[in-house]
Amino acid sequence: MKLSDIMGAANLSAYAEVAMLLFIAAFIVIVITVFSRGRQRTYDAASRMPLDDEHPQTPR
Amino acid sequence: MNARLDSFSYDDDIVRKFLWATMIWGLVGFVVGLIIALQLTSPQLNISPFLTFGRLRPLHTNAVIFAFAGNAWFTGMYYSSQRLLKTRMWSDGLSRFHFWGWQAIIVSAALTLPLGFTQSKEYAELEWPIDIAILVVWVALAVNYFMTLAKRRERHIYVSIWFFIASIITVALLHIFNNLAMPAGALKSYSLYAGVQDAFMQWWYGHNAVAFVLTTPFLGLMYYFLPKAADRPVFSYKLSILHFWSLIFIYIWAGPHHLHYTALPEWASTLGMLFSIMLWMPSWGGMVNGLLTLRGAWHKVTEDPILKFFVVAVTAYGMSTFEGPMLSVKSVNALAHYTDWIIAHVHTGTLGWNGFLTFGMVYWLTPRLFQTGMYSKKLMELHFWLGTFGILLYVVAIYSAGATQGLMWRAFDETGRLQYPDFVETVIRLMPMYWVRVAGGSLWIVGMCVGIYNVFRTWASRPARYEVPVIQAAPLSPVYSDDPHAPAGAGLWARFTNASWHRKWERMPLFFSVMTAVAVIVASLFEIIPTFLIKSNVPTISSIKPYSPLELAGRDIYQREGCFNCHSQMIRPFRYETERFGDYSKPGESVYDHPFLWGSRRIGPDLAREGGKFPDLWHVRHMYNPREVTQKSIMPAYPRLQVNIIDFEGIQKHVDAMAMLGVPYGDAVNRAPQMAREQAQQIAAGIEAAGGPKGLQDKEIVAITAYLQRLGRDLKNATAGRAQPPAASQPVALAAPAGSR
Repeated sequence: MKLSDIMGAANLSAYAEVAMLLFIAAFIVIVITVFSRGRQRTYDAASRMPLDDEHPQTPR
Repeated sequence: MNARLDSFSYDDDIVRKFLWATMIWGLVGFVVGLIIALQLTSPQLNISPFLTFGRLRPLHTNAVIFAFAGNAWFTGMYYSSQRLLKTRMWSDGLSRFHFWGWQAIIVSAALTLPLGFTQSKEYAELEWPIDIAILVVWVALAVNYFMTLAKRRERHIYVSIWFFIASIITVALLHIFNNLAMPAGALKSYSLYAGVQDAFMQWWYGHNAVAFVLTTPFLGLMYYFLPKAADRPVFSYKLSILHFWSLIFIYIWAGPHHLHYTALPEWASTLGMLFSIMLWMPSWGGMVNGLLTLRGAWHKVTEDPILKFFVVAVTAYGMSTFEGPMLSVKSVNALAHYTDWIIAHVHTGTLGWNGFLTFGMVYWLTPRLFQTGMYSKKLMELHFWLGTFGILLYVVAIYSAGATQGLMWRAFDETGRLQYPDFVETVIRLMPMYWVRVAGGSLWIVGMCVGIYNVFRTWASRPARYEVPVIQAAPLSPVYSDDPHAPAGAGLWARFTNASWHRKWERMPLFFSVMTAVAVIVASLFEIIPTFLIKSNVPTISSIKPYSPLELAGRDIYQREGCFNCHSQMIRPFRYETERFGDYSKPGESVYDHPFLWGSRRIGPDLAREGGKFPDLWHVRHMYNPREVTQKSIMPAYPRLQVNIIDFEGIQKHVDAMAMLGVPYGDAVNRAPQMAREQAQQIAAGIEAAGGPKGLQDKEIVAITAYLQRLGRDLKNATAGRAQPPAASQPVALAAPAGSR
């Protein structure tokens, strides 16, 4: 019995849809995270990074 | 403040190198593009054997994607990354190895593609030894880049770098898996995959090559150079992060939309369509973010050609990412696929987005890298307008060419018959638009020459020795306490939403890279594995047999000459397709096609059911001079096929490689050359008997005729319920009138 027979019998095609849902879920988590509070300070500093070639904006 | 400060300088020499490479290879790639555009209007410009459309078109695509856009990416990446990370590259040696290695690969592509060495997979044409070289160079780049990240002096990693990391990782993955092949000689190989699987793999690659060479790295450049040129931070950093993650999560899924209405399983192409539509959101978010960065600075745009380039580039990004998802909607795709519409779509993106972003970046970098004033602002303006009108002429003409041909293919007259049954009629209608494209392309190239001249003159007035500023910054402390200003929240939800976990990732480049890779790999696996392992997706057809040794040799010639650049072998299940070309293509038909040759553009007719449509002699005359048979044909002439000798002994190696890939060759594994000779004798005798040239039994024309006469025959024979005679030996009549399709 070949691997493809086993996989064929397992009928995995639903997994693609499950994976898609998982990805959408993960994506929503990221959206919530990005727009949540408490990050504005880091973001402000980070967005200035291209403008200063010499001084780190987020040291430590 | 930390008392200990490191002193270091940035390596701008490598940036200067890549900048020159970008401009020079860009010009080469554009000129080759102009040549192939002219070959479509004037077929006599095809100079057989090395400079025919089929061999030059891959050279054009490879040159502009990997040489022009690739070098532009590296130019901006080396400049911005060092400054964003406040460190020099980890190893100057590896930087140089990357540079020279990449240029050597480009040169080898420029040599092997016109010589006819090709894997026949779009944007992955280069043969296996070059593929290995690409991998080596890529690993050098990756090692250098990640080590640079590790020794950075900036805690947070700017979003541009995220885009670069994702691009480096994903390109490596795409390259490795799409190019897996069985070598059958020093510069010859057969794809490990066949038919549907190969098509799936190829367009997973092709689509994501567009994503991770032409989109994500250039977004990285945009998020760095647009704020630089406008001298203000990006409009919304949050939006740029969202932009990044949505591209990573969604883009990788969208590949199957290149194969709508082909023999691909229904669910896969629906999935591809859904994800393509979801791409709208982040792409437009990115465009809006770019344009709004210029808020309050629009007066600068009128004065500064660099910002003009950027504005057009970002707008073109928005337009082509709007159009892309639209094209993935099946009904739109049905009209646009195989036509020039796709060519127009691609050029909106590449000329507008990649080209103009590159030029804006180059003009911003030139005075800084060469440490002198820009030679001429007027010439920058001139370049901008030449380029803009060049793009407009090009895309307007080619969009209308695409729509024209798509509509002509599907037109029925009142009696229910094809209105334009003669394929060539749908081609000559495009000629005026093809000439406009030549004009547009010429303007673009003149603009490029102006640009190179301007950069050259600036370089000529450089100082005798470049100043190398010494930067001082503190190294990152080994222990890091999280942001003390972050609001202290209680409970799981608060900890989740204040996202200290995500900030931690951003500080750990390697972990971050791994997570990106995981997202990309998981998406790819879910997209690809079902087609490979679920048998029912590719129903087997018992009458489908492997190509005979001679037919295989013919198929090799078909690949070598790049026939698949103009001829598809995939009939879609529409009445106007089946009326014109024959029964639609089934997934099971291409199970022995290593690689698949479905094609993506029809400049000539589909060949999936070519076998038996015309007598052997027709093919001999047609290949010798297509215009002798079809007066208005724009196909190159291949007179050398009647001169070149078939390497009969070499066929064995090719059959063996196929057999190793699991193609049931049976007896041919032992006596391929002899079988090929016998079949060739038979066909040559038939041609001679029909009044054709004598003595063709060892010439390449016989092999390619055998292959063409085989196409679609297995299924036809099976449905006719007959035993299967060797295709090309059937009695033939010379009755078929010229161009009767």
